[in-house]
Amino acid sequence: MSTYLITTILFVIMVAVFVICSMKLKSPEISMAITGVVGALVGFFLIDGMDFPVRILVEGLFINLDLAISFICASIFVNMYSYSGAMTAVTRKLVGTFNNKWILLTFMAIFMLIPGALTGAGSISVFVMGGLVATVVRYMGVSEKKTAAFVFIFAILSAACPPINLWTMIITAQCNMPYVGFTWLLSVPIAIVGIFTIIFLGWGSKRAPKEQILAELPEAPEKMNIIRILLPLVVVIGLILLTLYAAFDVPVIGLPLTFLIGTVVVIICNPVKRTFKEYFKVINDTMEQVFPLVATVLSVGVLQESMTQIGVKGLIGVTFITMPMILIFVFVLFFAAFAQGSLSYGSAIIIGAPLVFMYNTMGFDTTIACAALSLMFPIGDCLPPSRITGRLTCETVGYKGSYMSFLKQVAIPCLVLGAIALVMFIHPAWFKFLK
Amino acid sequence: MANEKKEKAPILASKKVKIIILVCVAIIAFFGGKEFWELRHFKEVFVASDELTEVKWLSDYLPELKNSWFDTPIYVFDSGVEGGSVFIMGNVHPYEPASSITCYVMLENIHVECGKVFIMPQGNYSGSTMGSTGGAYPKFVTVKTEWGEQKYRIGARESNPLDQWPDPFTYVHYPSGQNLAYQDIRNMNRTYPGRADGTPTEMASYAIMELLRKEKIDIAIDIHEASIMYPVVGTYVAPDKSLSIAGYAAMSLSEYFNMKFEASPKSLRGLSHREWGDYSQALPFLMETPEPFIDRITGPITEEFMLEGKDEFLAKAAEKGLTYVPYDIEEGQPMWYRVGRHLSGAAEAIAWTSYFYPDIVVEVEWPLFEDIQANGLGYYLHDPDAPENASKVQVVYHKPAAYDRTYQDLEAAFKQ
Repeated sequence: MSTYLITTILFVIMVAVFVICSMKLKSPEISMAITGVVGALVGFFLIDGMDFPVRILVEGLFINLDLAISFICASIFVNMYSYSGAMTAVTRKLVGTFNNKWILLTFMAIFMLIPGALTGAGSISVFVMGGLVATVVRYMGVSEKKTAAFVFIFAILSAACPPINLWTMIITAQCNMPYVGFTWLLSVPIAIVGIFTIIFLGWGSKRAPKEQILAELPEAPEKMNIIRILLPLVVVIGLILLTLYAAFDVPVIGLPLTFLIGTVVVIICNPVKRTFKEYFKVINDTMEQVFPLVATVLSVGVLQESMTQIGVKGLIGVTFITMPMILIFVFVLFFAAFAQGSLSYGSAIIIGAPLVFMYNTMGFDTTIACAALSLMFPIGDCLPPSRITGRLTCETVGYKGSYMSFLKQVAIPCLVLGAIALVMFIHPAWFKFLK
Repeated sequence: MANEKKEKAPILASKKVKIIILVCVAIIAFFGGKEFWELRHFKEVFVASDELTEVKWLSDYLPELKNSWFDTPIYVFDSGVEGGSVFIMGNVHPYEPASSITCYVMLENIHVECGKVFIMPQGNYSGSTMGSTGGAYPKFVTVKTEWGEQKYRIGARESNPLDQWPDPFTYVHYPSGQNLAYQDIRNMNRTYPGRADGTPTEMASYAIMELLRKEKIDIAIDIHEASIMYPVVGTYVAPDKSLSIAGYAAMSLSEYFNMKFEASPKSLRGLSHREWGDYSQALPFLMETPEPFIDRITGPITEEFMLEGKDEFLAKAAEKGLTYVPYDIEEGQPMWYRVGRHLSGAAEAIAWTSYFYPDIVVEVEWPLFEDIQANGLGYYLHDPDAPENASKVQVVYHKPAAYDRTYQDLEAAFKQ
């Protein structure tokens, strides 16, 4: 049997297993893990010289382990912050200070952009700011569905936003390109899409009177003051900035420890004395809340490793990049987004790097092509099977509608982002002024 | 999401099923862990050439590395005749095993007529002790010989997180301040010139710089492999001061195979071909050979693929002009070919440097491309279990270790 035939059979089997498991078990995480295991086992029997996949499957769990630990620690920080009453106090202060809906939405957009821009992970933006932003946006009269869309769109824009864009960094690392010249190439499209999103989602909503909002909001603890509110955020953002701008003078502590230090500061700043048992309950509840997401990112790793070992990842990649150029232009947006949904940051490796190499051969501008692709990948963060940022957004903002209705709501801003990226990809020369 | 949880089929909620899943996970974890342990502690062996004069350690140049998984042996061959000095390093990216196997062929067969040669087969020892997460690589690659099989490890691109963790969310290169992808903080070929008090990978890079400076190395060769869809495949990369020599060497090699040469970019920091030249007196050469195994759009990942380099998907990509070296699936890019390229590539770089700089002449011999082509790769690897080689066996580990013949014998018996 040819490699094409074997890998196609394996691909079909994996898709079938995923669909059946999803229907029967109603658990995307377990369905992904089972799909990975079945793919690897069938591959073992079909392909000569394949190792028994036990180590490979365990190795897959480690692909996103750091991400999972970051999710857990960020969630603990945010939930502790909310538990201290600081989140309520911030919301009350913002609503009380600004009367204009558009100014508040703009502030919320900027708040969402900062954590992701500094860490490269939109999910961190959702964790750190999602709850607060959703509360304020809702009070601006924006519907539940649109609020979820607002948080999601700015989360993916934050991931693409400089200074840290992980897709760009991965592609440049694969292609031995310096990570320079991307600031405006990424910022300008993000600004355009951001403004569009604020207008698109905020249009038609009617802000309730300030007094009514403040009356509905829970009261902040009595002794909560500006220092207690800001200090935990300042510590977390300060540690992140130190990692970036004083990298040679501070040890590498990683995001998980950064958030845990922030949590300790939250506890110190809490004006209400709480018992260990009470804090332990918050941590316990957080683990319950974040568990499905942790399971998702770990399962994606197992699936990804299995797809790599049996050649299914290669099949998807080679099918796409060997298409005629015109078809690549037609399908790049679709492929990039779905690759992100399946392989997370692996998408930048299997599709991003080969396309940038291809552009290099054709004499096109690789920096602009790389930026364009890095704006397409984030769209896939709401797509199955992983849909990490999408699911996280729905959970964080408490969106109760169907996931499909959420997808429909984010579709238009995503398409605007995709369209700009696509034009950059097809006509890189038009964007040289941004380099 | 809450609805989803409630609607979950009872099959997953049952206690029995949960226990079964836990038991399965425990079994997988046990057998998986066993394999991780094996990869971590496997010791490569070789039969050293009679001309081995000294075994040094990377920690000799930065004592803080002693007893760490970044310490690694360096084999010195001193002709006793005044001349130049050469440093050759393999496996700084341990998922490129043709680079370490090239070093082993040199170590087993080297003859130095003039000057001094330092060979370090495992540049990033830590990185060689794990598989490549996301790569799904087999643990080992085996070379067939007349006396049996010689086994080498397939490691990762970066240092093992067991030895350096956590990663930052972005890596800031020292001293340039350039931002690189976060995982590059564990990529030794992005951390030069390193820091004595930096991360373990930076410390190992710093120790290599110290070696270049203290041993007054004249020619420094960093051996790599590259995916065939990577433009710098089949290439010498050198900074200005050694670029013309790389050009002459590449021309000489064209009799046997195509070798390009390329200038080291000044804006891309942390790489050996840039920082070795800038922070020491050495003339650096980085060599890349085609390794289809590490391309990203390949078919199934097997040991045979690593050895033979044959893949239908890459053939399709080559048809479309997407590869940077000619690729024929009938021939592939086999291990012997890749090792042979490196052996001749290093020899030509040394010969042309000696020609241009007679005061640092190094005369050295080892099997070349045409020898490997004629006799096979296994022909140049010697049997560590043969009685006549007993005193010459060297074990490559992160600390001095004796050759565990019993282990090898047991394994051979098990296979029979």
